[in-house]
Amino acid sequence: MNASLNFIGLEISVIGLGLVLMLADFFVPAERRRFIGYAGIAALGVLLIMSFSGNGTCSNFGFGFNNAFVNDGLSLFFKRFFIVAAILVLFIAAEFSDKLAAGSIAEYYSLIIFALAGMLFAASSNDFVMLFVAIELITVTFYVLVSFQRSKVASLEAGVKYLILGALSSSFMVFGIALIWGTTGTLNFTELAAVAPQFETSRIFLLGVLLVLVGLGFKIAAFPFQIWAPDVYQGAPTPTTAFLAIGSKAAGFVLLLRVLFTAVPSVTLHWEKLLIVISAITILYGNLCALPQRNLKRLFGYSSISHAGYLLLGVAALNANGQAAILYYLAGYLFTVLAGFLVIALVLRHLETDDVSGLAGLSQRSPLLAATMTISMVSLAGIPPLAGFFGKFLLLKSVIEAAQKSHHYGYIYLVFIALAGVVISLYYYFNVVRAIYWSKEARDLSPIALSAPAKLTAWVCIAGIFWLGLFPNTVLNLANQAATVFVAVTK
Amino acid sequence: MHIGIQHYLAVSMILFCLGLLGVIMRRNLLVIYMSLELMLNAANLALVAFSRFNNKLDGQVLVFFIITVAAAEVAVGLALIVALYRKRQSAHVEDLTSMKL
Repeated sequence: MNASLNFIGLEISVIGLGLVLMLADFFVPAERRRFIGYAGIAALGVLLIMSFSGNGTCSNFGFGFNNAFVNDGLSLFFKRFFIVAAILVLFIAAEFSDKLAAGSIAEYYSLIIFALAGMLFAASSNDFVMLFVAIELITVTFYVLVSFQRSKVASLEAGVKYLILGALSSSFMVFGIALIWGTTGTLNFTELAAVAPQFETSRIFLLGVLLVLVGLGFKIAAFPFQIWAPDVYQGAPTPTTAFLAIGSKAAGFVLLLRVLFTAVPSVTLHWEKLLIVISAITILYGNLCALPQRNLKRLFGYSSISHAGYLLLGVAALNANGQAAILYYLAGYLFTVLAGFLVIALVLRHLETDDVSGLAGLSQRSPLLAATMTISMVSLAGIPPLAGFFGKFLLLKSVIEAAQKSHHYGYIYLVFIALAGVVISLYYYFNVVRAIYWSKEARDLSPIALSAPAKLTAWVCIAGIFWLGLFPNTVLNLANQAATVFVAVTK
Repeated sequence: MHIGIQHYLAVSMILFCLGLLGVIMRRNLLVIYMSLELMLNAANLALVAFSRFNNKLDGQVLVFFIITVAAAEVAVGLALIVALYRKRQSAHVEDLTSMKL
């Protein structure tokens, strides 16, 4: 038991940091609480550097807690990913603090850190109990984060919608776990992989796996469990939306990969059709519904549904390249989406609406923010040489490989649907760019004053998008190494 | 009559479907929330029954985790519903319409 504690040093430090930030609330006067966030960022920065220098507990590979917790290449990749995401979200939150109830910002920071702890546990879970507890830690924290602007009806309403649908999806998942455990007698992913082939014909077992996938499909906002995404994205405070779009989605994907390719690889093999259909419908639904959107945060909600669809391409491909492509795509998506939400948080916080027209004249008000938003949109649309292009290229390549190997027509249709989705998405992404540079509705042309941390965040996001697009090798090697933890699925 | 695992499983599935029906059909947020708890408890019943008939304790341990997490979820959820009620003077889902296309 004590040996197991060596594996979760990182998680314990993060939870400790959350408690410290919460307690700091008592000792710091209300007008200075905004700066508590920078202390949190510094602490997370130290943990991130430790994970790269090999001193952190997350680089200590092995199993702990009766094999329920695992540190391997995949968990290491995702832990770095989540820490980077949390750091950037804390920067955005610090800029957004004046829109939250006076003095409550320290609480907001600590909730972000607690959600991060849940994501770190999710990255390492190798057991259905760990999966359940990690997902609930993330979800329950997000109920509070989404409804944090208690004075705004939209924020409360988004919180209640997320609460009802989130609780619904967790009860599906718990029932699925009960059925899986009842038929196989094990909750551990590694043990389950050994016995799963015997239960391939058991309907109760298959229903259990399906119900667990319902719960995970809700987290990643895949069709038909995407219904909450636009409303919650629109109503939640902008930093919460940013963390929801990247952290919560990535946590869903790491758990989906673990369940599909570590726990029940033999079942996944027979479900390629299901995965192809879900991926195709998610891409089309997200892109088509985004077309008429004028509300910027709602547009990001639909765009995030379509990106869940693109990421599912890599799952449906059922090969190691597809899994590595998912990790790479998520890394690019991190900088791209956070760049977008940084601009939304900085520009639209003074306006009543979240409408696209609020960006009018931004090219004159703040050239840096205009460039950040444009690069983010171009990368989301998948134009070379940015991160979004290379990620989509890798995902499509893995699907084409799968098509060549299995001669399954579904894969060919899937490639065409994904390409059609990209073409449709050009329209609404470029609508945003047009509002920034060529809109004539601009009334307010006063320059936007940017704080030094905000400028730094914008430059980090831009640098990340270009770096991943132009020099993909470093991250691609890490992603390939991480994907080796999965058992090769072959027919 | 001998009562076996399938009887317990049938009861838990019926409870689960009743809960789901409640979530879909009812219009009051509190009743919907109660139905959600019913669904969670259906899963708990299934776990305890499987635990008894498989002679393994993992399932019962998981039940404790589920009860604890459900308590945390209810604490947050009820606070949220109360906050919304004070703002809108209503706990009906028809009134959750401030966000549209």
